[in-house]
Amino acid sequence: MSYVLSTIINLLVSTSYAMTPLTLTAVGEITSERAGVVNIGLEGMISVSALVSVAVATQTLNPWLGLLAGVCAGALIGFIHGIISAYGKGAQIISGVGINIFALGFVPYMIIALWGVAGYKQVPEAGRIPRIAGLVSPIFIFCVLIAIATHYILFRTSLGLKIRALGEEPQAADTLGVHVERLQLIATVYGGALAGLAGAFMSLDWLGTITKEIAAGRGFISLALVVFSNWKPSLALLGGALFGSSWALTEWLKVLPGVKGVVPVTIINTLPYIVTLGTVAGVIGRARPPRKSGVPYLRE
Amino acid sequence: MGNTGDTGSDEYLVLMKNIVKIYPDGTIALRGVDFTLRRGEIHGLLGENGAGKTTLMKILAGILKPTSGTIYVVGKKVVFSAAADALKLGIGMVHQNLSLIPSFTVYENIVLGLPRKQLLNARENINKLMSLTGLRVPLDERVEVLPFGVKQKVEILKMLFRNVDVLILDEPTTNLTLTETRELFNMINELKKMGKSVVFITHKLREVMEVADRITVLRKGRVVGEVPRAEANLNLLAQLMVGRNMISATSRETTTAGEELLIVRDLWVLSDLGTWAVRGVSLTVRSGEILGIAGVEGNGQKELVEGLTGLRRVEKGEVIFRGRRINNLPPSELYKLGIAHIPEDRTLMGLILDFTVSENSILSIQRSTSFRGFLNTLVWGRVAEHALSLITKFNITAPSLSSPVKYLSGGNQQRLVVAREISKEPQLIIAAQPTRGLDISATEHIRSLLLDFRKRGKAVLLVSSDLEEILQLSDRVAVMYEGRFVGIKNVSELTEDKLGLMLGGVSD
Repeated sequence: MSYVLSTIINLLVSTSYAMTPLTLTAVGEITSERAGVVNIGLEGMISVSALVSVAVATQTLNPWLGLLAGVCAGALIGFIHGIISAYGKGAQIISGVGINIFALGFVPYMIIALWGVAGYKQVPEAGRIPRIAGLVSPIFIFCVLIAIATHYILFRTSLGLKIRALGEEPQAADTLGVHVERLQLIATVYGGALAGLAGAFMSLDWLGTITKEIAAGRGFISLALVVFSNWKPSLALLGGALFGSSWALTEWLKVLPGVKGVVPVTIINTLPYIVTLGTVAGVIGRARPPRKSGVPYLRE
Repeated sequence: MGNTGDTGSDEYLVLMKNIVKIYPDGTIALRGVDFTLRRGEIHGLLGENGAGKTTLMKILAGILKPTSGTIYVVGKKVVFSAAADALKLGIGMVHQNLSLIPSFTVYENIVLGLPRKQLLNARENINKLMSLTGLRVPLDERVEVLPFGVKQKVEILKMLFRNVDVLILDEPTTNLTLTETRELFNMINELKKMGKSVVFITHKLREVMEVADRITVLRKGRVVGEVPRAEANLNLLAQLMVGRNMISATSRETTTAGEELLIVRDLWVLSDLGTWAVRGVSLTVRSGEILGIAGVEGNGQKELVEGLTGLRRVEKGEVIFRGRRINNLPPSELYKLGIAHIPEDRTLMGLILDFTVSENSILSIQRSTSFRGFLNTLVWGRVAEHALSLITKFNITAPSLSSPVKYLSGGNQQRLVVAREISKEPQLIIAAQPTRGLDISATEHIRSLLLDFRKRGKAVLLVSSDLEEILQLSDRVAVMYEGRFVGIKNVSELTEDKLGLMLGGVSD
């Protein structure tokens, strides 16, 4: 295999890893925002779920149980956020910030409490998700499928119509007998579960470790991806690939002869964030958010 | 929702008994109202703003809960906990500001929330319903691009597709053209033939006389009359509604028009969608006159006003005020030069609803030195004095100076806007739809304030889709159609019929 070909394959494979958590989280958040609930706590949900999944996987040495636990942890936080937002009519931004702050304390504390190490725990080989042909993650495949399926549900089914109605004009939907709060709660739980899956994927599959900074801004980049994709899951898949490839490129650049040791690593590390900023700045204003997203629905 | 007991009579499709509604803020909207509706009846519900018409019907539609009172539908007592409950029993309401989802297509709006099995042949069935009722709408168009009249049809279809027996229409003709109103009335009569009942909420006497079989008149939360159409006449209804003889049209004194205050030459302004909304409009407004701009809404009046008041870019043309070119000056500069603005939407642009009466009374003049004290801070005592003087001078009813203006009635909110603008002592007021949605007394009051302003030698540029208002106030009238003036005429040369033609773009 030539150097070029193997480089391309390497880049593609690492893109598939880098894009998975971004896309999963963004697809979940799109669903939630389409239903009118904004969750800026994605960052915290990713790290908490990553932690929970590692805890279960190291105990049971079963990666699938760990994965399930991570998804459940995300769904639970989504549920709490949904109760506060949909039923409590609370300030969604505050609740989201709360989730992030909670994770900031909870994750480092639990790493020490569970394993007696500060900030870092390796997942044992038996607790890691096996890869297809040693290269491709099954969760990447799932991520592609779920993005397409969510797109289909949102734009091609009557359930999707109801969900989108909640983000645009919940009163119109309410009048027609749509259960506004219940559906909003379901959407936030779904969003939470996907963010949880993203977290579990990062710790049990991609990185094979849990660190206190595991999310590394991915929750916020997912929010940017939601805007970039104009609230469409299919475009989130595309945007995820774009953002993900910038991550893959960063890793590749770091070890590239001529760059390594010349350009400081810290500068190269900023690349994905600059790409995010650049693309989103270009898209903003043209994207059309759900009109009532983030606004609690109050009846007369 | 529960169906309990079989009290009530079968004579009526709907029977509402002794309905009381007290809002959480203490406002008593309904003080024990009885209301009946027969099958196949068109029932006019007449009253001024604040009479309780909409509140009563929102209770029937399950949107509001009554404080006390009972509702019977087909003889069965019902309690609604949500609009969906009423809809299940065949009661649907079309609101004044429609509850459609703008970014959805017409089809999506109609089928939203329907059970899956009803979706299978939905398109076919909607088409059938459209030919049956004559309500034709483009199913795959997004609602936001449709004109108001079509949106209203969509809303009515949406209700009919859910098989409502009772269709409540809240002031349905407010934003309709004459032709559209005619179509609506025909459609209402078609529904009647199909055995549906229609409640027609309005404050327009002629319309209720034309379309209703029976008319219930509300005043200040009480039923003051229930008349079959055969026994009703305009004067009787007006008396019931207002509780006094109708005020005769404000008489206009003649003034001599003076210097040319505002000169607009070949003005071009873009709409939000980037198309030309104002296409080369020229006009002059002299001191001591009111120039009325009539026209069906959406013909560029909004963009014209925004262009002249600095809220929207003027792309081409010239705006000259007292000899000075004022194209694209910011609104604050225009105020300083002596132009005041009564905006079309008082709740969005004229007032800050959560601010108090005092605070709203100095919006845009808050920098005036008369409200400033030590270190340039606002002296609230002086602000309150100013607000109080407006309240007394302009007859504004407000709970207190420190209550948020959202608790004022629409009429009093608008009085406050007009009072504030006049208190700036401008040379020119640009007034957009100044009496829209107001009751008769507030309307008369605001019109007389504008006439009074004119009498003092100042000028008004009045934009209104209310023809009666245009004819009553204006010295000269321009009709706007598709971004252009169909003509500027002295009011004496005009009749309502002639105006009607001009509104439709027909000039002589």
